[in-house]
Amino acid sequence: MDEAGGSLSVPHIEVRGVSKRFGGAVALQAVDTAVQAGTVHALVGENGAGKSTLGKIMAGALTPDEGQVEVYGRPAELRSPRQALEMGITMVAQELSLVPHRSARDNVFLGMESVRGPLVDEARDRARVARLVEEYGIEVDPDQLVGRMSVADQQKVEILRSLARDAQLIVMDEPTARLSSAEARGLRGMVRQLADGGVTVVYVSHFLEEVLAIADRVTIMRDGEVVRTSPAADETRSSLIEGIVGRKLEAVFPTRRPPPSEARPVLEVRGLGREGAFSEVDFTIREGEIVTLAGLVGSGRSETARAIFGADRATAGRMTLDGAPYAPRSPRDAIRAGVAMVPESRSAQGLLGRMTVRANTTLAHLSLFALPGGFLRSRPETEAAQEATSTVRLTGATIDSVITELSGGNQQKTLFGRWLVSRPRLFIADEPTRGVDVGAKRGIYDLLAGLAAAGMAVLIVSSELEEVLGLSHRVLVMSDGRLAGEVAGADATETSVMELAFGGAPA
Amino acid sequence: MTLKTRSRRARGWSLLTDYGIIWATLLVFLLLFLTADNFLTPANLRNILDQQAFFLIAGSAVTLTLIGGNFDISLSACFINATIATALTMNATGSWQLALLAGIAISSLFGAVNGAIVAWARINSFIATLATSFVFYGVAFLMSNRSIVRVTEIDFSNIARGRIWGITKATWIAAAVVAVFWILLSRTRFGRHVYATGGNPEAAHLAGIRVKIVTLLTFVLTGAATGLAGALSASRTLVGQPHDDFTFVFSVLTAVIVGGTSIAGGEGAVWRTLFGAFFIALVINGFNLLQIDPIIQRLIQGGVIVLAVAADNWTRSRRM
Repeated sequence: MDEAGGSLSVPHIEVRGVSKRFGGAVALQAVDTAVQAGTVHALVGENGAGKSTLGKIMAGALTPDEGQVEVYGRPAELRSPRQALEMGITMVAQELSLVPHRSARDNVFLGMESVRGPLVDEARDRARVARLVEEYGIEVDPDQLVGRMSVADQQKVEILRSLARDAQLIVMDEPTARLSSAEARGLRGMVRQLADGGVTVVYVSHFLEEVLAIADRVTIMRDGEVVRTSPAADETRSSLIEGIVGRKLEAVFPTRRPPPSEARPVLEVRGLGREGAFSEVDFTIREGEIVTLAGLVGSGRSETARAIFGADRATAGRMTLDGAPYAPRSPRDAIRAGVAMVPESRSAQGLLGRMTVRANTTLAHLSLFALPGGFLRSRPETEAAQEATSTVRLTGATIDSVITELSGGNQQKTLFGRWLVSRPRLFIADEPTRGVDVGAKRGIYDLLAGLAAAGMAVLIVSSELEEVLGLSHRVLVMSDGRLAGEVAGADATETSVMELAFGGAPA
Repeated sequence: MTLKTRSRRARGWSLLTDYGIIWATLLVFLLLFLTADNFLTPANLRNILDQQAFFLIAGSAVTLTLIGGNFDISLSACFINATIATALTMNATGSWQLALLAGIAISSLFGAVNGAIVAWARINSFIATLATSFVFYGVAFLMSNRSIVRVTEIDFSNIARGRIWGITKATWIAAAVVAVFWILLSRTRFGRHVYATGGNPEAAHLAGIRVKIVTLLTFVLTGAATGLAGALSASRTLVGQPHDDFTFVFSVLTAVIVGGTSIAGGEGAVWRTLFGAFFIALVINGFNLLQIDPIIQRLIQGGVIVLAVAADNWTRSRRM
């Protein structure tokens, strides 16, 4: 094995000038990077920095729009996972792709079973899997059904499957994201062992300690570009964070007016928790205040927001809304109490795709327009929809347009309008500008600032640091299901937020 | 600018595809008018209307269930239970009001069972209502003691067969039921909730809609309407007869689907079911008038359903 990063031999895999777009969004922009054989090469970056995309391109799961991939110095066509497999490259994806009702052994050899005539040669597969298990020290019961295994064991099965296919390069996408710390430690040991055995591992992760512990080299990515690639030994936690976030605030945000000092608390959250998602969350939001829940994906931000909205039931703690006890058992309870939420996924959780802007806008407040018996009076409904859509400055569409014909920004504005048909006390927005163009972003920022100025309490969940810092009065950072800390004012910088967010890396 | 020209063409296109079932029905009507000379007679048209009454009553209700995102296969079983309960109650009490009520009640109860299983036990509605069908068929055989129940009071047939302005009362009742469900779906809060529940249950839930209750109600309403259809059938034929075939439900669902109500939920309308039912009725009527072999009729009927759903899928994928 070559010593970490020191070698100038031909890299195992190299990408040159690789770009990838999804619709209008640029995921990778002219990326160059090289991975040496027999090393653990980590790709790190924020959510959306392009690290998973790059990993998938190396594994043939995605095809680059531009640029090329070379394997051992020769141009390689990696147009499908199958072609990548022929070159000895496999991927252990975030979502595992195993057949749950079959045994570990069957999964390992799926599609390449040993056969004797028309029959599967079980004895031979048994011996093959035993050999693999021994060779790499991966302990897993080959006869157990995959569906009954822990995620960690399922991952082992995936790795065994890669090895059974003679993989020389394995791309692992956030392999420890769903593991407990002990399991993650086990996996890291396994990864090291693979590399020591000559297998190259491309390790996509946002857990920095983990990366520093096992990687030979690290490529830092930001906004679809490579910041630098260097030996892991030359990096520290703070140098990585600096590389990951190092950029200027660019978008224009509305001016923040601090809430008046006598502003009353709207939402008080004490010891809130939901089993398996988050715990011991405490905070208060006052009238006119914009508070952001920041943190990495999976840190419990969205889950906390959903519990406050009653979409998931909290299992611990209590809340008050305007001083009164508040324990929503459903979104319906929350809405009645004066809470609104624009959900994380616009299409999956928000929009009624085949219906008009009007129907989408008034959906949550139809009782305001209903006569006894439930008949809807169309004039008040139309007026309310018109007023709400003009408050959110819907452009280029009327209330009779079918919602799916609108741009992402206008769809999102419509979902904001849905809650402005009445006057909520607490307005929650989960990823309010995801998939929205720059102009509409500014519109949504102004809207959120306007809601706060009108006396609402605003709670934002966001992965976009710029927006977190540019918009909110206070930032609550979650990590590993807990509040890792709170920053405000001059203390709220990208570095301070990321420090807190990365604080929960598995030890 | 480009948006406008595109949208004008799109509007013309959608006028063609969105109302396809109307054009198709009118086309069949015209063809029959031109080819079959005994088609446009009052007797024939009245006959078509009367034959469609039961399908329309159950169909306009089950349109709600489909839009709400669910199937109900148990309509046949609910229907025959209603005929038997109505016949038995008529014989036992002599009150036509109680007889109708009994038919509607038992079928509504079955609808509630279906709805509860689908909404709370989260069992796929197709499987759930297939399973309950067998249970309900069993109930029908038990209730009727495995034999035909004949209504002894001959005048009971007036409920369905009596005429107002030459049209059977069953037809008038069907018209009223269609109107009620049409308005319920298009003009009320509940109707809007049904569309939302079928179109995007998660979004509906997050907008404060009680999707389980909405689901339950669509099944109860379908049960009630099917019960009414069964009770009227008992009146028209003066029998309640246990059997276990699924013909009724498939005729009803065919009308709904051919009309253009999406089996994926969230989209559709009662007027579509109305036209869907008449489209099929006209096709069958035409076959009979033109004396086409019943075997061939079935082949064509099956082909028409496949075509209708394929056309629906095709226009749907274009809109995506």
